[in-house]
Formats: sequence, structure tokens, C-alpha cells
Amino acid sequence: MRKRYSLAYNLAIFILAQIVWLALLGLWIYWYVSNYLIFEQVGEKVSPQIVIDTPDVFPFVGGIVLLVGLSFSMVLIFRNLNVQIRLTRLYDNFIANITHELKSPLSSIQLYLETLNTRNVPAEKQKEFISQMIKDTARLQKLISTILEISALESRKNKVNFEVYDSCEILNRLLKESAEQFRLKENTIGFKCLSSAKISIDINAFKMVIDNLIDNSIKYSTGELKINLIVKTSINKVEIHFSDNGVGISPEEQKNIFHKFYRIYDEDIPNVKGTGLGLYWVKEIIKNHRGKISVKSEGKGKGTTFIIELPVVKKPIKG
Amino acid sequence: MVDENRLSAKILLVEDEESLASGLEFNLSEEGFKVDWAKDGRQAVDKFNKGEYDLIILDIMLPYQNGFEVAKQVRKKDPQIPILMLTAKTSVDDKVKGLELGADDYITKPFHLQELLLRVKGMLRRKNWYIKSIKQNPVYKIGDCEINFDNLKFRKGKVEFNLTHFEAILLKYLIENKGRVISRKELLENVWNMNPEVETRTVDIFISRLRKYFEDDPANPVYIKSIRSSGYIFEADDNI
Repeated sequence: MRKRYSLAYNLAIFILAQIVWLALLGLWIYWYVSNYLIFEQVGEKVSPQIVIDTPDVFPFVGGIVLLVGLSFSMVLIFRNLNVQIRLTRLYDNFIANITHELKSPLSSIQLYLETLNTRNVPAEKQKEFISQMIKDTARLQKLISTILEISALESRKNKVNFEVYDSCEILNRLLKESAEQFRLKENTIGFKCLSSAKISIDINAFKMVIDNLIDNSIKYSTGELKINLIVKTSINKVEIHFSDNGVGISPEEQKNIFHKFYRIYDEDIPNVKGTGLGLYWVKEIIKNHRGKISVKSEGKGKGTTFIIELPVVKKPIKG
Repeated sequence: MVDENRLSAKILLVEDEESLASGLEFNLSEEGFKVDWAKDGRQAVDKFNKGEYDLIILDIMLPYQNGFEVAKQVRKKDPQIPILMLTAKTSVDDKVKGLELGADDYITKPFHLQELLLRVKGMLRRKNWYIKSIKQNPVYKIGDCEINFDNLKFRKGKVEFNLTHFEAILLKYLIENKGRVISRKELLENVWNMNPEVETRTVDIFISRLRKYFEDDPANPVYIKSIRSSGYIFEADDNI
């Protein structure tokens, strides 16, 4: 409850603080002007020989500058706080998701084990239960490694092993490996090489990028999935266009999808499981490759295209 | 009586995790229950509206409509059906919310199979005991309130609404043991059929709900009084 109101609470404090500053400023001006007038009148009466110079504006102007500075810093603090609140909210969401994601397969494994332990289960059913448990352990394993990988990536502890490859060749290879891994039908993925160049990539990290993008396409598609990958080269960069015919991403969501823990909820496919880390992870990996990733989608139901830009390696890298 | 329950009881299982659902379906069927599986909130409400069920096992995180929303809709139509919430969420807030929206009990994932089965059987047994016990005197009056235990209608002046199944059972138990201090442990064992070491908070939540219904000032109750470190006592003049 407290968290829900924290934004409004901060906003109120911020507005209140600004009102206080402005009131102080007004009061100050009023005080300065009225005193100046009194001094002038008294001065003229008491000793007209004292010539009152134009008032010393330095403290006045200096005060205003300081106040503006203070207001500006408050804006900065407020903005920073806002980012923190948003992150905390997303993090809470992530914890809820991850708890659900961890507990569901665990409950299922526990249920099957207890069933096998307490009942006489027919052999056929036993086989079915065991294969279900294997699926659940694979799910757990995938989830745990995602969490571990992301923390390694953030602390830059994972070893990077950059090597130079031909862009079309390596991407075609990685795509084929992923397609096999995800057991996609033969004609699901299309690959087109318009022009190739040398790129320097960490093949394990890049495999994760491709895996994540394909995984997303599978999760966020309703009909028969089609993925197309186009590789092209300009003077100093290689562009990889990864498009699918999935549910697409609305323009508002496009701004957020690379944020940590952010997850899209789509009415048409409400059962998508995930942690909100996949695309954040992809972006971080691409950043480590000194590249860029962006997304394009004409809207809901019109598919999505991810564009990855990587620098072209001009000279052969030694070692 | 239990066997009779098992043969006739029909359970609506609402769970989006296919593997968990099929394991539960197998076990409940082995116990003699008829099980109908709904894999999302929308389907759950749909099945509930079309079929007749004796108990609902309801997951919270569901596609389309979450368990809380499903519970709300089910309660509108049937205040009596026992709802067991199945949840991966462990926060007290979620549990309280579930109970406030009309769930009668909850069990957290991962759970023990035997515990789940005991709770299901216990809930069905309570339901049967209740149906039998209200046959003779379905209407009871407390102060200016009137409770019809048959259709669970509660009336205070012009205000009328439905009690949930477990609210009614709890109230019935309190009335039957009028003038005696009843511990939370006893209530948990006899009303919910639960292990009393687990969740005494459940009792407090239900008691505070009942107080809100018929006490003029729930903070200073006249009918259901708290006896410090012992439990609760129900005091009222007989007015059947």
C-alpha cells in the first residue's frame, strides 16, 4: 500500500517544496522592497546629506541564483527518486514472477514424487509422470541459469572471448543451432545474406542473443511462426534485421521492452511466462559488443523487427 | 460419509500449469472425485456457470482473470461452494485478500499431496455436516440481525447480503457452542479441519468479518468477544 502511494507522496512533497521556495522568494522581495522604501524616506528626513546609492543588488540577485540552483537540484533529486521507485516496482514484479516461476515446477515435481511414493501408479502413467518431471527440472534449470547469467553479466564477471567471424556465415550457423534446439519446423526460419563483412563477437554470448530473440518470437506469436533474418553491410557497420510475424509491440511498449524486469502483457496471449530479463540481457550483450539494438513494429498483430548494428572489423585483430 | 462424499463430489480445478493440473487431476480422481479442469480464469467462470460443483480448487495467478476475480464472480452466484485457493504467493496480504474475497481456505505452493487431500476432504465434510445441521432450524436471530443458514442470507434492517460458506459454518459452530470459550485451535480443527499450528490468522480474519456484519461497533463487540490468550466466546439470547 505504502509503495502504491509513494509516487503521489513524493510528488506532493516536491510541489510543496517548490511553493515554499517561491513563497520565500516573494517574501524576500517584499521585505527588500519595503525596507528599501522606508530607509529611503527615513534617510531623506533624518539626514538628507547622506546620499543613498542605488541599492546593493548583489545579495538579491545572488539569493535568486541560489534559489534557482536549489530548485534545480530538487528537480534532479526528484527525477532520480522517480527512476528508483519505478525500478523498485519492476523489481517487486520480478520477484513475484520469479517466485511463481520457481515454485510452479517445484510444486509439480513434489506432487509427482509424492504420488509415485504413495500410490500404485500404472507403468504407463509412471512414464508420463517422469517425463513431466524432466520437463519441470529443465524449466527450473533454465530459469536458474538465466538469473545467474544476468548477475554475471552485470558484474562483468563472465569471460568474454571475442573472435572475428564472417557475419553471414556465423549468423546462419547460430540460427540453425537455435532452430534445432527449439525444434522449429524447417521452413520457420528464413535467412538472407545481402552483403557480408567481418565482425568480432563472443560466440556464446551471441548465441544467447539469438536464442532469446527466437524464444520471444515463439512466446509472442499466435499463428504459424515465421522468422526472417537479413544481414547487410554498410561502410562501417553490419546490420542484422530479425523479424517475425508475431503479435507485434505497440509504440508505447517499444520504449520499455529493453528495461530490466519489464514484461509485456498481451490480452491475446495471456499465459506467457518470463522474468523480464531476456531483452535487457540481449541489449547488454550487444552493448558489450559496441553495438546497438533497436525495435520496430507497426503495431499490434503486425510482427516485430529487431535491428542489431555491429561495428565492422577492418583490420584483422591479433590474439 | 466420506466415501459417500468422494463418490458424489465434483471438483472444479482451476490451474494454468498443465503439469501440476494433470498430477492433481490424477490424484483427486484416484480418491474418487470427479474432476473438471479449467486452465484460465475465463474458462473457470464459464465452466462454473455451466456445471454444478461441490468444491473449487483455485490458483491465483491465472491468464485472463486472476483467482481473486474468479472467486468474486463465483461468490456472486454461489455463496456456499467451498473455495480452496492454491497459491505460489506467500505474502500475508495476498492470503488476506483471498479470504476476504470469499475463499474459504488456502494452501501455498509447493504443498504436500496429503495435506491438500485432507483439506479437500475436510471442506467437503464440513459442507455435509452443515447441510444436515441446518435442516431443523435454518433461521437464527442475533439482535436485529437475521441469518438464514439455508440460503446464507444475512439481514440487518434493510441491508441484505450473502454469507460465504465458511462464514456460515463458523457462525453455526459459535452458536452451537454459545457461552463457552472456544480456542482458535478448536475452531481451526473443527471448522476448517486444519492443522492448528499453521494459520491461526485465518480464524481472526473470519471473526472480524462476522463482527463487521452484526456488531454495531466491531471494535467493542457485544456478541463475539475476544478472550485474551484463550480465543473467542459467543454470547446472545436465544432467539430462534
